[in-house]
Amino acid sequence: MKIKLFAATAVLALGLAACGGETPAPETPAPEAPAAEAPAPEPVPATASIGETPADPVAFMKTRHDNYEDLGKNFKVLLDNSKLGTPDMAAVAAAAAKVNEYAGQMGTWFPPGTGPEAGKTEAKANIWTDRADFDAKLANLQTEAGKLVTAAGTDAAAFKAQFGPTGGTCKACHDTYREEDKDK
Amino acid sequence: MTDETVASASPAPTPEQKVWDVPVRLVHWLLVFLVALSWWTAEEGEMQWHYWSGLTIVGLLVFRIYWGFAGPETARFSRFVKGPGTVLGYASKLLKPDYRASFGHNPLGALSVVAILLALITQVGLGLFASDTDGLESGPLSPYVSYEFSKDAGDLHEDAFNILLILIGLHIAAIVFYLAVKRINLIGPMITGSRKVESVEGPASGIAPVPLWRFLLGMAIAALTVFLIVLLPTTR
Repeated sequence: MKIKLFAATAVLALGLAACGGETPAPETPAPEAPAAEAPAPEPVPATASIGETPADPVAFMKTRHDNYEDLGKNFKVLLDNSKLGTPDMAAVAAAAAKVNEYAGQMGTWFPPGTGPEAGKTEAKANIWTDRADFDAKLANLQTEAGKLVTAAGTDAAAFKAQFGPTGGTCKACHDTYREEDKDK
Repeated sequence: MTDETVASASPAPTPEQKVWDVPVRLVHWLLVFLVALSWWTAEEGEMQWHYWSGLTIVGLLVFRIYWGFAGPETARFSRFVKGPGTVLGYASKLLKPDYRASFGHNPLGALSVVAILLALITQVGLGLFASDTDGLESGPLSPYVSYEFSKDAGDLHEDAFNILLILIGLHIAAIVFYLAVKRINLIGPMITGSRKVESVEGPASGIAPVPLWRFLLGMAIAALTVFLIVLLPTTR
Protein backbone atom coordinates (compact mmCIF):
# COMPACT_ATOMS: atom_id res chain seq x y z
CA MET A 1 0.00 0.00 0.00
CA LYS A 2 2.76 2.42 0.95
CA ILE A 3 4.61 1.62 -2.26
CA LYS A 4 1.54 2.38 -4.35
CA LEU A 5 0.87 5.60 -2.52
CA PHE A 6 4.47 6.57 -3.00
CA ALA A 7 4.21 5.80 -6.70
CA ALA A 8 1.11 7.93 -6.91
CA THR A 9 2.90 10.80 -5.20
CA ALA A 10 5.86 10.36 -7.53
CA VAL A 11 3.62 10.58 -10.58
CA LEU A 12 1.99 13.68 -9.21
CA ALA A 13 5.33 15.28 -8.49
CA LEU A 14 6.56 14.30 -11.94
CA GLY A 15 3.54 15.93 -13.48
CA LEU A 16 4.20 19.09 -11.54
CA ALA A 17 7.89 18.97 -12.41
CA ALA A 18 7.18 18.55 -16.10
CA CYS A 19 5.11 21.66 -16.02
CA GLY A 20 7.63 23.68 -14.07
CA GLY A 21 10.32 23.09 -16.70
CA GLU A 22 11.52 25.68 -19.19
CA THR A 23 10.11 23.82 -22.19
CA PRO A 24 6.37 23.43 -21.76
CA ALA A 25 5.20 20.22 -23.35
CA PRO A 26 2.42 20.82 -25.86
CA GLU A 27 1.04 17.47 -24.90
CA THR A 28 0.49 16.04 -21.49
CA PRO A 29 2.89 13.31 -20.38
CA ALA A 30 2.41 9.99 -22.08
CA PRO A 31 -0.37 8.16 -20.25
CA GLU A 32 1.30 4.83 -21.01
CA ALA A 33 4.15 5.36 -18.52
CA PRO A 34 3.48 2.97 -15.62
CA ALA A 35 3.36 4.64 -12.26
CA ALA A 36 6.06 2.40 -10.84
CA GLU A 37 8.67 3.61 -13.34
CA ALA A 38 8.29 7.25 -12.45
CA PRO A 39 11.73 8.79 -11.91
CA ALA A 40 12.55 10.66 -8.74
CA PRO A 41 10.77 14.01 -8.74
CA GLU A 42 12.68 17.26 -8.94
CA PRO A 43 12.00 20.16 -6.58
CA VAL A 44 8.90 21.94 -7.72
CA PRO A 45 8.19 25.66 -7.42
CA ALA A 46 4.99 26.63 -5.66
CA THR A 47 3.31 27.89 -8.82
CA ALA A 48 4.25 24.80 -10.78
CA SER A 49 0.75 23.53 -11.35
CA ILE A 50 -0.14 26.61 -13.37
CA GLY A 51 2.60 26.15 -15.95
CA GLU A 52 3.20 28.16 -19.08
CA THR A 53 1.08 28.76 -22.14
CA PRO A 54 1.76 25.98 -24.64
CA ALA A 55 3.01 26.80 -28.12
CA ASP A 56 -0.14 25.38 -29.68
CA PRO A 57 -2.99 25.89 -27.19
CA VAL A 58 -5.63 24.34 -29.43
CA ALA A 59 -3.65 21.12 -29.87
CA PHE A 60 -2.96 21.13 -26.14
CA MET A 61 -6.67 21.49 -25.40
CA LYS A 62 -7.50 18.69 -27.82
CA THR A 63 -5.10 16.39 -26.00
CA ARG A 64 -6.61 17.47 -22.70
CA HIS A 65 -10.06 16.63 -24.02
CA ASP A 66 -8.91 13.23 -25.28
CA ASN A 67 -7.30 12.50 -21.93
CA TYR A 68 -10.50 13.32 -20.10
CA GLU A 69 -12.42 11.11 -22.48
CA ASP A 70 -10.01 8.25 -21.83
CA LEU A 71 -10.36 8.97 -18.14
CA GLY A 72 -14.14 8.69 -18.53
CA LYS A 73 -13.69 5.44 -20.39
CA ASN A 74 -11.61 4.03 -17.55
CA PHE A 75 -14.06 5.34 -15.01
CA LYS A 76 -16.88 3.51 -16.76
CA VAL A 77 -14.92 0.28 -16.32
CA LEU A 78 -14.93 1.03 -12.60
CA LEU A 79 -18.60 2.07 -12.63
CA ASP A 80 -19.63 -1.07 -14.51
CA ASN A 81 -17.68 -3.31 -12.16
CA SER A 82 -19.05 -1.52 -9.10
CA LYS A 83 -22.48 -2.78 -10.22
CA LEU A 84 -21.46 -6.38 -10.80
CA GLY A 85 -21.82 -9.12 -8.24
CA THR A 86 -18.32 -10.34 -9.01
CA PRO A 87 -16.19 -7.46 -10.30
CA ASP A 88 -13.31 -8.21 -12.65
CA MET A 89 -10.61 -7.10 -10.23
CA ALA A 90 -7.84 -7.20 -12.82
CA ALA A 91 -9.77 -4.75 -14.99
CA VAL A 92 -10.61 -2.70 -11.91
CA ALA A 93 -6.94 -2.50 -10.86
CA ALA A 94 -5.86 -1.46 -14.37
CA ALA A 95 -8.57 1.21 -14.63
CA ALA A 96 -7.89 2.50 -11.11
CA ALA A 97 -4.17 2.80 -11.92
CA LYS A 98 -5.03 4.74 -15.05
CA VAL A 99 -7.38 7.08 -13.19
CA ASN A 100 -4.71 7.64 -10.57
CA GLU A 101 -2.15 8.33 -13.26
CA TYR A 102 -4.34 10.93 -14.95
CA ALA A 103 -5.15 12.47 -11.59
CA GLY A 104 -1.45 12.89 -10.98
CA GLN A 105 -0.97 14.65 -14.32
CA MET A 106 -4.02 16.82 -14.17
CA GLY A 107 -2.33 19.77 -12.48
CA THR A 108 -0.38 20.32 -15.72
CA TRP A 109 -3.46 20.24 -17.94
CA PHE A 110 -4.59 23.80 -17.32
CA PRO A 111 -1.73 26.22 -18.07
CA PRO A 112 -2.65 29.85 -18.80
CA GLY A 113 -4.04 30.48 -22.26
CA THR A 114 -5.90 27.17 -22.53
CA GLY A 115 -9.27 28.37 -21.29
CA PRO A 116 -12.45 29.42 -23.12
CA GLU A 117 -10.59 32.42 -24.61
CA ALA A 118 -8.36 30.06 -26.59
CA GLY A 119 -11.01 27.89 -28.23
CA LYS A 120 -13.81 25.41 -27.74
CA THR A 121 -13.61 23.94 -24.28
CA GLU A 122 -15.83 23.06 -21.36
CA ALA A 123 -13.14 24.34 -18.99
CA LYS A 124 -14.50 27.44 -17.29
CA ALA A 125 -12.47 30.61 -16.82
CA ASN A 126 -12.68 30.36 -13.02
CA ILE A 127 -10.16 27.51 -13.13
CA TRP A 128 -7.56 30.21 -13.65
CA THR A 129 -9.06 32.83 -11.37
CA ASP A 130 -9.81 30.45 -8.46
CA ARG A 131 -6.72 28.38 -8.92
CA ALA A 132 -6.11 27.67 -5.24
CA ASP A 133 -9.56 26.13 -4.83
CA PHE A 134 -9.18 24.25 -8.10
CA ASP A 135 -5.89 22.82 -6.90
CA ALA A 136 -7.43 21.91 -3.55
CA LYS A 137 -10.21 19.99 -5.32
CA LEU A 138 -7.63 18.33 -7.53
CA ALA A 139 -5.68 17.31 -4.43
CA ASN A 140 -8.87 15.65 -3.13
CA LEU A 141 -9.12 13.66 -6.35
CA GLN A 142 -5.49 12.63 -6.06
CA THR A 143 -5.99 11.48 -2.48
CA GLU A 144 -9.12 9.48 -3.31
CA ALA A 145 -7.62 8.07 -6.53
CA GLY A 146 -4.64 6.88 -4.52
CA LYS A 147 -7.01 5.17 -2.08
CA LEU A 148 -8.85 3.68 -5.04
CA VAL A 149 -5.68 2.04 -6.34
CA THR A 150 -5.11 0.58 -2.89
CA ALA A 151 -8.71 -0.58 -2.62
CA ALA A 152 -8.59 -2.12 -6.09
CA GLY A 153 -5.59 -4.14 -4.95
CA THR A 154 -7.39 -5.24 -1.79
CA ASP A 155 -10.77 -6.78 -2.66
CA ALA A 156 -14.12 -6.18 -4.35
CA ALA A 157 -15.75 -4.81 -1.20
CA ALA A 158 -12.97 -2.30 -0.63
CA PHE A 159 -13.15 -1.23 -4.27
CA LYS A 160 -16.94 -0.78 -4.18
CA ALA A 161 -16.67 1.27 -0.99
CA GLN A 162 -14.00 3.55 -2.45
CA PHE A 163 -15.66 3.99 -5.86
CA GLY A 164 -18.24 6.54 -4.67
CA PRO A 165 -15.83 8.84 -2.78
CA THR A 166 -13.49 8.91 -5.79
CA GLY A 167 -16.30 9.75 -8.22
CA GLY A 168 -17.47 12.40 -5.78
CA THR A 169 -14.19 14.31 -6.14
CA CYS A 170 -14.59 14.28 -9.95
CA LYS A 171 -18.09 15.65 -9.64
CA ALA A 172 -17.13 18.28 -7.06
CA CYS A 173 -14.75 19.83 -9.55
CA HIS A 174 -17.03 19.46 -12.58
CA ASP A 175 -19.84 21.23 -10.74
CA THR A 176 -17.70 24.34 -10.31
CA TYR A 177 -15.19 24.33 -13.13
CA ARG A 178 -16.84 22.64 -16.09
CA GLU A 179 -19.38 24.15 -18.43
CA GLU A 180 -22.71 22.33 -18.59
CA ASP A 181 -22.80 20.59 -21.94
CA LYS A 182 -25.20 22.64 -24.02
CA ASP A 183 -24.50 21.15 -27.41
CA LYS A 184 -22.25 18.28 -26.40
CA MET B 1 -66.36 16.26 -13.77
CA THR B 2 -68.68 18.78 -12.19
CA ASP B 3 -71.33 18.00 -14.78
CA GLU B 4 -71.18 14.36 -13.93
CA THR B 5 -71.48 14.97 -10.21
CA VAL B 6 -74.47 17.20 -10.74
CA ALA B 7 -75.98 14.77 -13.22
CA SER B 8 -75.84 11.84 -10.83
CA ALA B 9 -77.63 13.89 -8.18
CA SER B 10 -80.35 15.36 -10.40
CA PRO B 11 -83.78 13.69 -10.78
CA ALA B 12 -83.25 12.65 -14.40
CA PRO B 13 -79.64 11.60 -14.46
CA THR B 14 -77.85 11.36 -17.75
CA PRO B 15 -76.63 7.80 -17.93
CA GLU B 16 -72.88 7.43 -17.90
CA GLN B 17 -70.73 4.88 -19.56
CA LYS B 18 -67.42 3.65 -18.26
CA VAL B 19 -64.72 4.53 -20.80
CA TRP B 20 -61.41 4.11 -18.96
CA ASP B 21 -60.70 1.43 -16.38
CA VAL B 22 -58.59 2.05 -13.29
CA PRO B 23 -55.34 0.59 -14.70
CA VAL B 24 -55.45 2.80 -17.81
CA ARG B 25 -56.09 5.89 -15.72
CA LEU B 26 -53.42 4.98 -13.18
CA VAL B 27 -50.84 4.35 -15.90
CA HIS B 28 -51.74 7.68 -17.50
CA TRP B 29 -51.41 9.81 -14.38
CA LEU B 30 -48.38 7.96 -13.05
CA LEU B 31 -46.68 8.59 -16.39
CA VAL B 32 -47.53 12.29 -16.10
CA PHE B 33 -45.98 12.37 -12.65
CA LEU B 34 -42.95 10.20 -13.43
CA VAL B 35 -42.04 11.92 -16.71
CA ALA B 36 -42.05 15.21 -14.80
CA LEU B 37 -40.05 13.66 -11.98
CA SER B 38 -37.57 12.14 -14.42
CA TRP B 39 -37.04 15.48 -16.10
CA TRP B 40 -36.62 17.30 -12.81
CA THR B 41 -34.26 14.76 -11.24
CA ALA B 42 -32.11 14.82 -14.39
CA GLU B 43 -31.96 18.61 -14.30
CA GLU B 44 -31.01 18.57 -10.64
CA GLY B 45 -28.51 15.75 -11.01
CA GLU B 46 -30.48 13.57 -8.58
CA MET B 47 -29.49 10.50 -10.52
CA GLN B 48 -30.51 7.88 -7.97
CA TRP B 49 -34.07 9.23 -8.08
CA HIS B 50 -33.86 9.48 -11.85
CA TYR B 51 -32.81 5.84 -11.97
CA TRP B 52 -35.81 4.63 -9.98
CA SER B 53 -38.21 6.99 -11.71
CA GLY B 54 -37.09 5.63 -15.09
CA LEU B 55 -37.30 2.02 -13.94
CA THR B 56 -40.84 2.60 -12.68
CA ILE B 57 -41.70 3.96 -16.12
CA VAL B 58 -40.26 0.76 -17.61
CA GLY B 59 -42.64 -1.22 -15.42
CA LEU B 60 -45.61 0.97 -16.38
CA LEU B 61 -44.81 0.63 -20.09
CA VAL B 62 -44.49 -3.15 -19.85
CA PHE B 63 -47.84 -3.26 -18.08
CA ARG B 64 -49.49 -0.90 -20.57
CA ILE B 65 -48.31 -2.92 -23.56
CA TYR B 66 -49.61 -6.08 -21.92
CA TRP B 67 -52.87 -4.29 -21.11
CA GLY B 68 -53.10 -3.33 -24.78
CA PHE B 69 -53.74 -7.02 -25.43
CA ALA B 70 -55.32 -8.20 -22.17
CA GLY B 71 -57.20 -5.14 -20.93
CA PRO B 72 -60.73 -3.92 -21.61
CA GLU B 73 -61.92 -2.79 -25.02
CA THR B 74 -60.74 0.83 -24.85
CA ALA B 75 -57.26 -0.22 -23.71
CA ARG B 76 -56.67 -2.63 -26.62
CA PHE B 77 -54.42 -1.62 -29.50
CA SER B 78 -56.45 -3.75 -31.90
CA ARG B 79 -59.50 -1.70 -30.98
CA PHE B 80 -58.15 1.84 -31.28
CA VAL B 81 -55.22 1.76 -33.71
CA LYS B 82 -56.74 2.53 -37.09
CA GLY B 83 -55.50 2.81 -40.68
CA PRO B 84 -54.87 6.10 -42.51
CA GLY B 85 -58.31 6.02 -44.17
CA THR B 86 -60.17 5.93 -40.87
CA VAL B 87 -57.88 8.58 -39.38
CA LEU B 88 -58.47 10.94 -42.33
CA GLY B 89 -62.18 10.19 -42.26
CA TYR B 90 -62.34 11.10 -38.59
CA ALA B 91 -60.24 14.24 -39.07
CA SER B 92 -62.43 15.44 -41.95
CA LYS B 93 -65.56 15.12 -39.79
CA LEU B 94 -63.98 16.81 -36.78
CA LEU B 95 -65.58 20.21 -37.40
CA LYS B 96 -68.75 18.98 -39.14
CA PRO B 97 -72.21 18.90 -37.51
CA ASP B 98 -72.44 15.12 -37.84
CA TYR B 99 -69.33 14.66 -35.66
CA ARG B 100 -69.68 12.05 -32.93
CA ALA B 101 -67.23 11.59 -30.14
CA SER B 102 -65.44 8.24 -30.07
CA PHE B 103 -65.78 5.53 -27.47
CA GLY B 104 -62.24 5.45 -26.09
CA HIS B 105 -59.36 6.77 -28.14
CA ASN B 106 -60.46 8.46 -31.35
CA PRO B 107 -58.56 7.42 -34.52
CA LEU B 108 -56.48 10.61 -34.49
CA GLY B 109 -55.77 10.47 -30.78
CA ALA B 110 -54.69 6.86 -31.19
CA LEU B 111 -51.75 8.13 -33.24
CA SER B 112 -50.79 10.30 -30.31
CA VAL B 113 -51.05 7.37 -27.90
CA VAL B 114 -48.86 5.17 -30.08
CA ALA B 115 -46.34 7.97 -30.71
CA ILE B 116 -46.04 8.80 -27.01
CA LEU B 117 -45.68 5.13 -26.08
CA LEU B 118 -42.96 4.67 -28.72
CA ALA B 119 -41.17 7.83 -27.58
CA LEU B 120 -41.28 6.65 -23.96
CA ILE B 121 -40.01 3.19 -24.92
CA THR B 122 -37.15 4.81 -26.86
CA GLN B 123 -36.43 7.10 -23.95
CA VAL B 124 -36.23 4.42 -21.25
CA GLY B 125 -34.53 2.03 -23.67
CA LEU B 126 -31.73 4.55 -24.19
CA GLY B 127 -31.65 5.37 -20.49
CA LEU B 128 -31.09 1.74 -19.50
CA PHE B 129 -27.81 1.67 -21.48
CA ALA B 130 -26.81 5.31 -21.04
CA SER B 131 -23.86 6.73 -19.21
CA ASP B 132 -22.45 10.21 -18.84
CA THR B 133 -19.18 11.25 -20.43
CA ASP B 134 -17.35 10.84 -17.11
CA GLY B 135 -18.42 7.29 -16.41
CA LEU B 136 -19.89 8.52 -13.12
CA GLU B 137 -23.57 7.77 -13.69
CA SER B 138 -25.16 5.09 -15.81
CA GLY B 139 -28.27 3.09 -16.48
CA PRO B 140 -28.58 -0.43 -15.05
CA LEU B 141 -27.69 -2.20 -18.30
CA SER B 142 -24.70 0.01 -19.12
CA PRO B 143 -22.18 -2.68 -17.98
CA TYR B 144 -23.24 -4.69 -21.03
CA VAL B 145 -22.15 -2.07 -23.56
CA SER B 146 -19.00 -0.09 -24.38
CA TYR B 147 -18.15 3.38 -23.14
CA GLU B 148 -18.74 4.84 -26.61
CA PHE B 149 -22.12 3.14 -27.02
CA SER B 150 -23.14 4.14 -23.53
CA LYS B 151 -22.08 7.75 -24.02
CA ASP B 152 -23.95 8.01 -27.34
CA ALA B 153 -27.02 6.46 -25.72
CA GLY B 154 -26.73 9.08 -22.99
CA ASP B 155 -26.53 11.92 -25.51
CA LEU B 156 -29.50 10.55 -27.44
CA HIS B 157 -31.38 10.03 -24.18
CA GLU B 158 -30.99 13.76 -23.56
CA ASP B 159 -31.89 14.79 -27.13
CA ALA B 160 -34.81 12.40 -27.55
CA PHE B 161 -36.51 13.96 -24.56
CA ASN B 162 -37.34 16.91 -26.85
CA ILE B 163 -39.34 14.58 -29.10
CA LEU B 164 -41.31 13.48 -26.06
CA LEU B 165 -41.89 17.12 -25.11
CA ILE B 166 -43.23 17.90 -28.59
CA LEU B 167 -45.60 14.92 -28.44
CA ILE B 168 -46.80 15.90 -24.97
CA GLY B 169 -47.33 19.45 -26.24
CA LEU B 170 -49.43 18.18 -29.16
CA HIS B 171 -51.40 15.95 -26.78
CA ILE B 172 -52.20 18.86 -24.47
CA ALA B 173 -53.02 21.12 -27.44
CA ALA B 174 -55.51 18.50 -28.67
CA ILE B 175 -57.13 18.29 -25.23
CA VAL B 176 -57.46 22.09 -25.17
CA PHE B 177 -58.89 22.03 -28.72
CA TYR B 178 -61.61 19.55 -27.74
CA LEU B 179 -62.39 21.54 -24.61
CA ALA B 180 -62.43 25.00 -26.21
CA VAL B 181 -63.72 24.29 -29.73
CA LYS B 182 -65.71 21.08 -29.39
CA ARG B 183 -66.82 21.72 -25.79
CA ILE B 184 -65.83 18.17 -24.92
CA ASN B 185 -64.03 17.61 -21.63
CA LEU B 186 -61.56 14.74 -22.07
CA ILE B 187 -59.77 15.35 -18.78
CA GLY B 188 -62.73 14.46 -16.57
CA PRO B 189 -63.17 10.94 -17.95
CA MET B 190 -59.43 10.29 -17.58
CA ILE B 191 -59.91 11.06 -13.87
CA THR B 192 -63.33 9.53 -13.15
CA GLY B 193 -63.31 6.92 -15.89
CA SER B 194 -66.83 7.78 -17.04
CA ARG B 195 -68.51 9.91 -19.68
CA LYS B 196 -72.06 10.92 -20.44
CA VAL B 197 -73.49 8.26 -22.66
CA GLU B 198 -75.23 10.70 -25.02
CA SER B 199 -71.95 12.22 -26.05
CA VAL B 200 -70.33 9.14 -27.45
CA GLU B 201 -70.88 6.11 -29.60
CA GLY B 202 -70.21 2.61 -28.34
CA PRO B 203 -72.15 0.42 -25.90
CA ALA B 204 -74.24 2.27 -23.34
CA SER B 205 -72.91 -0.02 -20.64
CA GLY B 206 -69.35 1.03 -21.43
CA ILE B 207 -66.37 -1.23 -21.05
CA ALA B 208 -66.83 -4.73 -19.71
CA PRO B 209 -64.98 -5.61 -16.51
CA VAL B 210 -61.75 -7.58 -16.85
CA PRO B 211 -61.00 -10.47 -14.49
CA LEU B 212 -58.69 -9.50 -11.63
CA TRP B 213 -56.20 -12.25 -12.40
CA ARG B 214 -55.41 -10.64 -15.74
CA PHE B 215 -54.51 -7.41 -13.98
CA LEU B 216 -52.40 -9.26 -11.42
CA LEU B 217 -50.62 -11.19 -14.15
CA GLY B 218 -49.76 -7.90 -15.85
CA MET B 219 -48.44 -6.46 -12.60
CA ALA B 220 -46.32 -9.58 -12.09
CA ILE B 221 -44.86 -9.36 -15.61
CA ALA B 222 -44.05 -5.67 -15.15
CA ALA B 223 -42.47 -6.18 -11.74
CA LEU B 224 -40.47 -9.17 -12.95
CA THR B 225 -39.11 -7.15 -15.87
CA VAL B 226 -37.90 -4.38 -13.58
CA PHE B 227 -36.42 -6.86 -11.11
CA LEU B 228 -34.53 -8.63 -13.89
CA ILE B 229 -33.11 -5.36 -15.20
CA VAL B 230 -31.93 -4.36 -11.74
CA LEU B 231 -30.63 -7.75 -10.66
CA LEU B 232 -29.12 -8.99 -13.92
CA PRO B 233 -25.77 -7.17 -13.53
CA THR B 234 -25.38 -8.36 -9.95
CA THR B 235 -25.41 -11.96 -11.13
CA ARG B 236 -22.24 -11.40 -13.11
